[in-house]
Amino acid sequence: MFMPDNYEFICPVKTNSGNRALEHLSFELEALSARKPLIVTDKNVTRRGLIRKMINAFKDSGVTIGIFDSIPDVPDMQLVTELSNIYRNGEHDAIVALGCGSIVDVAKVVNIAVSYNVRILRDLAGDNLIAHPLGPFVLVPTLTGNGYETSKFAFIEDLTFSSYFLMPDLVIVDSRTVKSESVQTTVATTMVALAHATEAYTGPAKNPLADTYAYAAIQYVKENLITVLKKPRDTEGLLALANAASMAGCAFSNMKPGLVHILGETISAMFHIAPGICMGILLPYGMEYTIQMNGYHAYDVLLPLSSFDEYAGTAENLKAGKAVNIMYEMQQDLYTVTGGKIPRTLEEANIPKYMVNDIAEKVFKDGAKEFGVDDYRMVLEHAWEGKPLSWV
Amino acid sequence: MYLPGYYEFYSRVKMIAGHDALEKIPGALSDLHAKKPLIVTDKGVCHAGLIDIVTDAIKNSVTIGAIADDVPQDSDLQIVNRLATLYRENGCDSLIAVGGGSVMDTAKGINIVVSENTDDLMKFSGAGRLKRALKPLIVIPTTAGTGSEATLVAVIADHKRQRKMLFVSYFLVPDAAILDSRMTLSLHPVMTASTAMDALCHAIEAYTCLAKNPLSDSCALAAINLISGNLLKVMRNPGDKDGRLAMATGATLAGMAFSNSMVGMVHTLGHSVGSVCGAPHGMAMSLLLPYGLEYNMHKVDRFIAELLLPLAGSEIFTWTPKHLRAERVIEYVRQLNQGLHEATDGRHARFFKELLDRDGSPMVSKEKLSDIARAALGDGSLFYNPEELDYDDFLMVLEHAWEGVPLDRSRIKKG
Repeated sequence: MFMPDNYEFICPVKTNSGNRALEHLSFELEALSARKPLIVTDKNVTRRGLIRKMINAFKDSGVTIGIFDSIPDVPDMQLVTELSNIYRNGEHDAIVALGCGSIVDVAKVVNIAVSYNVRILRDLAGDNLIAHPLGPFVLVPTLTGNGYETSKFAFIEDLTFSSYFLMPDLVIVDSRTVKSESVQTTVATTMVALAHATEAYTGPAKNPLADTYAYAAIQYVKENLITVLKKPRDTEGLLALANAASMAGCAFSNMKPGLVHILGETISAMFHIAPGICMGILLPYGMEYTIQMNGYHAYDVLLPLSSFDEYAGTAENLKAGKAVNIMYEMQQDLYTVTGGKIPRTLEEANIPKYMVNDIAEKVFKDGAKEFGVDDYRMVLEHAWEGKPLSWV
Repeated sequence: MYLPGYYEFYSRVKMIAGHDALEKIPGALSDLHAKKPLIVTDKGVCHAGLIDIVTDAIKNSVTIGAIADDVPQDSDLQIVNRLATLYRENGCDSLIAVGGGSVMDTAKGINIVVSENTDDLMKFSGAGRLKRALKPLIVIPTTAGTGSEATLVAVIADHKRQRKMLFVSYFLVPDAAILDSRMTLSLHPVMTASTAMDALCHAIEAYTCLAKNPLSDSCALAAINLISGNLLKVMRNPGDKDGRLAMATGATLAGMAFSNSMVGMVHTLGHSVGSVCGAPHGMAMSLLLPYGLEYNMHKVDRFIAELLLPLAGSEIFTWTPKHLRAERVIEYVRQLNQGLHEATDGRHARFFKELLDRDGSPMVSKEKLSDIARAALGDGSLFYNPEELDYDDFLMVLEHAWEGVPLDRSRIKKG
């Protein structure tokens, strides 16, 4: 097993997962010395009846809850100020985010605002500028995430906040809240998790601690995504995928972003395609690329992607190749099972070929200098055409 | 991968590991807003020169409040109270524990006393009695190991009242664990073997007992892989820094696993042998491990079989037919104990009959087995074992483990 010469790892997130996990919420809040949580969510979540389910879980607990369900897709600092006031005026002592994406970003930034002075909020944007623990923050995710929910990141307007104190104290994964909303969102959420977990597991900062979260995430995705798409009411499968999303965010927070993440996020922003769909296209090509580079550890990602028997019975020099094959096959299965809804290539995602160069240059210009422009371009070209790197 | 109907997993300790991880302590203390630590350790660690290595690494950037080096073999209420007073007298604001399980447990105990400002530690014994965060605690394990750097438990003995008190709370988990290869380079071969087997046991029990979950499973598999892959290497070459770091990482991972998934009958019996006969914990674990696996086999053979891969590697796994893998695991553990027995010139015991103390006297007499079996009945870890055990079952297992004879499977109750 790979052992680095030195490593650091932290994951302050507690996981409660499974049947009636929501019913534990009031007890867990008390353990965090909180009695009056403010629940933040959006209209979509409310419409789907999830708020009602959460309220029912609190029913007999004696806890007073406040609810704000108008978080928009693109929130701004004004909203943060508004929510901070609601929090303070209502004398709340914890934030519970019900949902994913911008709901979680807002919850995290509001948490900073109410734990520090809201005027200096902008000054805390950046890496590790938050020096003290924040107020209690619980995440109840849906299956609509962008990969950042359990991570140390929060985004609002043009600001990026990064600190381990932003990671939720507790994530509650409950079957009632992690239903499949659509094929697109389920695939997008899951493929972000797979990409992040894979890049953590095979990247230059690989370490046994991050591997524990990444390993479980990769396994759960591989074992459950296709089956859940075939049978959308597979409760256990959905729970596994939601677990994967949560675990991947934890592993991801301990790594520098990898090639697939960097390219995927850029394409997503440029073409308004969910990051997970972009990363899902790029993942096998990105993996081929990292195998070709020295010092990366792709061979043992075969273990969570296959089985003990297949891993043990595959020669060392063939393990990495097999892992990549599994990625390509998974991509093909996604395409088939969804009747062609999930693109396998950048071409199928309607990205014009001439833009490939622009994407590569933008990524490089935006500051992602881990890899060269030519490397970005090469991976993108192959991912556009659908031609594995090894064919050259 | 197995997904339980419901599970919880929490491992908040920050890991800082490497060949010069100690030098990162000032940064870790500053992140925790701590300035004046009390260093808690024992004479063995001091004499091995390890405290000097630690203080050399930090003294230019940290004001050390005091160094307390008189923690005994197992942590004790009187010491906890005395060191809490030392902490207060020196205006300390944090704790650094350098040592094995007892030192770390003592530090956890001191932390309760100084954080809750109490004069009665026992008020907080049991589970869930702590309601808020304690003072910053950094631990530097010097064995590989008990895993206490990652666990939510502390065991403190009250020698006056002749009882052991168990403290269980997430607030007891240290803020940071420093794994530095220098801390175990000079670990005596007998200790290397027994603490490694303790860790292996933690991981195997976490993986096969009733509270297993995906994250503890992940930790356990990695722990078994690292420990099994490096133990005999560091026995042969104690100065193997990479090997020592791998062992330390494995032990911490094992601690994370069992902190979240608990343990089973091997620990139940091991605790009891320890309390009745004073048998060293790790040694008791290693020789009881194959018996625990034999006993639980009919309930969890499919999980035991999976362990053959991290334990023995791809070749043995592939060459062993599926239905024989679980048995092969037991065989492998026995072979491992045999290898350790030879590597320590017989001091690593394979069965209780040959477990001797420093003067060469047997530590576990056959007459004591009934007392041990009786003590085992009251141990909480039994709750998570896949199969039930009553007094007769315990006695049966102990008799076999005393003699060194594999368990007679026909005598296992199938509950």
